Amino acid sequence: MTENVYLPKLARIASIKDEVVGARAIKTFQVEFPDGDMFEHECGQCAMISVFGKGEMMISIASSPLVKDYKQFSIMRVGKVTTAIHAMKVGDVIGVRGPYGNKFPVNDWKGKNLVFIGGGCGLAPIWPIIQTAVAQRSDFANITVFYGGRSSRDIMYRAELEKLRGVADVHLSVDQAEEGWEGYCGFVPANVMSTGVAPDNAIAITCGPPIMIKYVIQNLKGLGFADEQIYTTIENKMKCGIGKCGRCNVGKDYVCVSGPVYSWAQLKDLPQEY
Amino acid sequence: MSSILKKTDLGAWAAALEAEVFAPALADGVWAYQPVAPGANDGGVALTHPNTARPPKNFAFPQREVLYTFEQLKGQAPKLTETLPNPAPVVVMGVRPCDGRGAPRNDMVFTGAFDDPYYQSRRAKTAYVGLACNTPPSPNCFCKAVGGSPSSKEGLDVQLTDLGDRYHVVAVTPRGEELIEAGGKLFAEAGAADEKESQRLHSEAAKCEQRTFGDLAAAAPALKKNFDSEMWQSLAKACIGCGICTFLCPTCHCFDISDEVTGQSPMRGERVRTWDNCQFPDFTMHSSGHNPRETLGARLRQRVNHKFLYFVENNGTQQCTGCGRCISFCPVGIDIVAVLDRMIQA
Ligand SMILES: Cc1cc2nc3c(=O)[nH]c(=O)nc-3n(C[C@H](O)[C@H](O)[C@H](O)COP(=O)(O)OP(=O)(O)OC[C@H]3O[C@@H](n4cnc5c(N)ncnc54)[C@H](O)[C@@H]3O)c2cc1C
Ligand code: SF4
Ligand code: SF4
Ligand code: FES
Repeated sequence: MTENVYLPKLARIASIKDEVVGARAIKTFQVEFPDGDMFEHECGQCAMISVFGKGEMMISIASSPLVKDYKQFSIMRVGKVTTAIHAMKVGDVIGVRGPYGNKFPVNDWKGKNLVFIGGGCGLAPIWPIIQTAVAQRSDFANITVFYGGRSSRDIMYRAELEKLRGVADVHLSVDQAEEGWEGYCGFVPANVMSTGVAPDNAIAITCGPPIMIKYVIQNLKGLGFADEQIYTTIENKMKCGIGKCGRCNVGKDYVCVSGPVYSWAQLKDLPQEY
Repeated sequence: MSSILKKTDLGAWAAALEAEVFAPALADGVWAYQPVAPGANDGGVALTHPNTARPPKNFAFPQREVLYTFEQLKGQAPKLTETLPNPAPVVVMGVRPCDGRGAPRNDMVFTGAFDDPYYQSRRAKTAYVGLACNTPPSPNCFCKAVGGSPSSKEGLDVQLTDLGDRYHVVAVTPRGEELIEAGGKLFAEAGAADEKESQRLHSEAAKCEQRTFGDLAAAAPALKKNFDSEMWQSLAKACIGCGICTFLCPTCHCFDISDEVTGQSPMRGERVRTWDNCQFPDFTMHSSGHNPRETLGARLRQRVNHKFLYFVENNGTQQCTGCGRCISFCPVGIDIVAVLDRMIQA
């Protein structure tokens, strides 16, 4: 018998950063593997994170596969386990098993324009692609990033996004106008529409709340993007991560194995149970 | 080659096996697999049951399984202790053919790209001694409609056929042969007449009246076509979402994983997996409150589609063996045969 898939590796929290504070708090954790059992992953893959005594949760690996000394997770506080990890400190130990799921076909996108569209915590799953594309900048054509939060306080990776401006077109937004905000005011899908992006030789990758994704896809289609040019992820509730517990089942797919990454061409054939 | 075992020797055979033996017994009015007491003498085991209320899936996939334990002193790293089961061999006697067919279907789920070591270590130690149905034990049996038969050997290690005062015994797997060998002289070589009688009973049983929804091959396309049908809401109207249909199903395998804390300083507890249920709204509800399967209709559709569409697409066979439990035990009479019939007719 092979290794026990349910047994997590132990990981030490090396750093914690407050991205967003308040009701929709997001923290970014970088974790190391003191036992030397760090694993490789691909853009879009996730890991099952344990806070022992509280439970497990599926979280996107937010660091680039090129980063070899830590894994990064950006986690929004919404319930039991997310609240428990938000209360942890540097040096505390969590469990990590994975990587799980499929990947963004980033290698097929070389030479193309990449358009990233994120909202809320939805920057985390696409951040590894952005990091990889920036590290291998000459492999890709234009890089455009749309990202929005409810308010300027809800913008995650703020400093990193500002730094991106040198190598990518960055369009930030907040849902409602506020003092001192110089970016776009309005929802992310509207920002995409009013800025306009050309579908030629482009791939659009969108992650965020389901309602945002729905309108982003509508707008991308309006701008002339074909179904095959649009990628997103779906986040169904997950327990096992390995296609056994049945929870993430959508049609014949177990999202934890066949997803979470889908092109719109694939997704539109699945039942809308996500 | 096949053999004959006198019914009165069943208990002696159970005692001769180096295994924990389970057989159906009536407890509080319910047929359930019960351990056969060591040394059960003649007649101590009698396979007179219709079918058990619960299927035998728990032998490989218990309702509650501790995956590992954890222990953590404040400020220190947690210590995990793997609790892989290493069970003694188990022999389950009197398994009906439909439940026998449940086992390979569960194997399909718990093996593959990711092997499930808990299921596998129990499954490897579990043997099923089946009992062919001379007559269908329940009015809701529909094994024939789902590719099975009252004398199916699929998933069994040994098949018994009731010849009145004795069983005709066929080894189906090498493990089954071992079990028969362990019975030694209790088994006599079957004569041609016994073999013929056994065959006659099987073909009689194959002609039995059973419920059916018609053409099995029509089910998956019908479910695909009717995914958005209004019928799901009306069919599920009476459902109270109790989940009995899935708990009692030999092939339902969905589970939850959670932490049970058993003590503080050091904080310690168990990570456990427990049977879960697609009929519960919590099963799919996101932390945000968004629920991809919000209605009872959507959840009934999931149960039926999983068994007759998605599993077929993924594994080439239905994930229902026609045992009829979900029909017999549903408190409000939701009937998977009737549901399939409606979908195919629509
Ligand atoms: C592929 C994927 C990638 C993801 N990536 C990220 C990411 O990068 N960042 C991020 O922030 N989030 C991400 N998520 C979402 C994240 O998994 C959830 O927010 C997280 O699991 C919530 O856990 P919780 O314990 O805080 O929430 P809870 O709502 O408390 O749920 C915890 C578990 O406890 C149980 N539970 C809780 N309350 C009850 C109750 N009252 N009754 C019964 N059971 C209960 C539930 O069964 C639940 O599974 C991702 C999800 C998926 C599927
Ligand atoms: S047993 Fe009947 S009432 Fe209970 S969840 Fe199943 S279909 Fe609904
Ligand atoms: S779906 Fe119903 S009839 Fe089919 S195997 Fe499960 S409990 Fe038996
Ligand atoms: S999370 Fe268990 S099957 Fe996908």
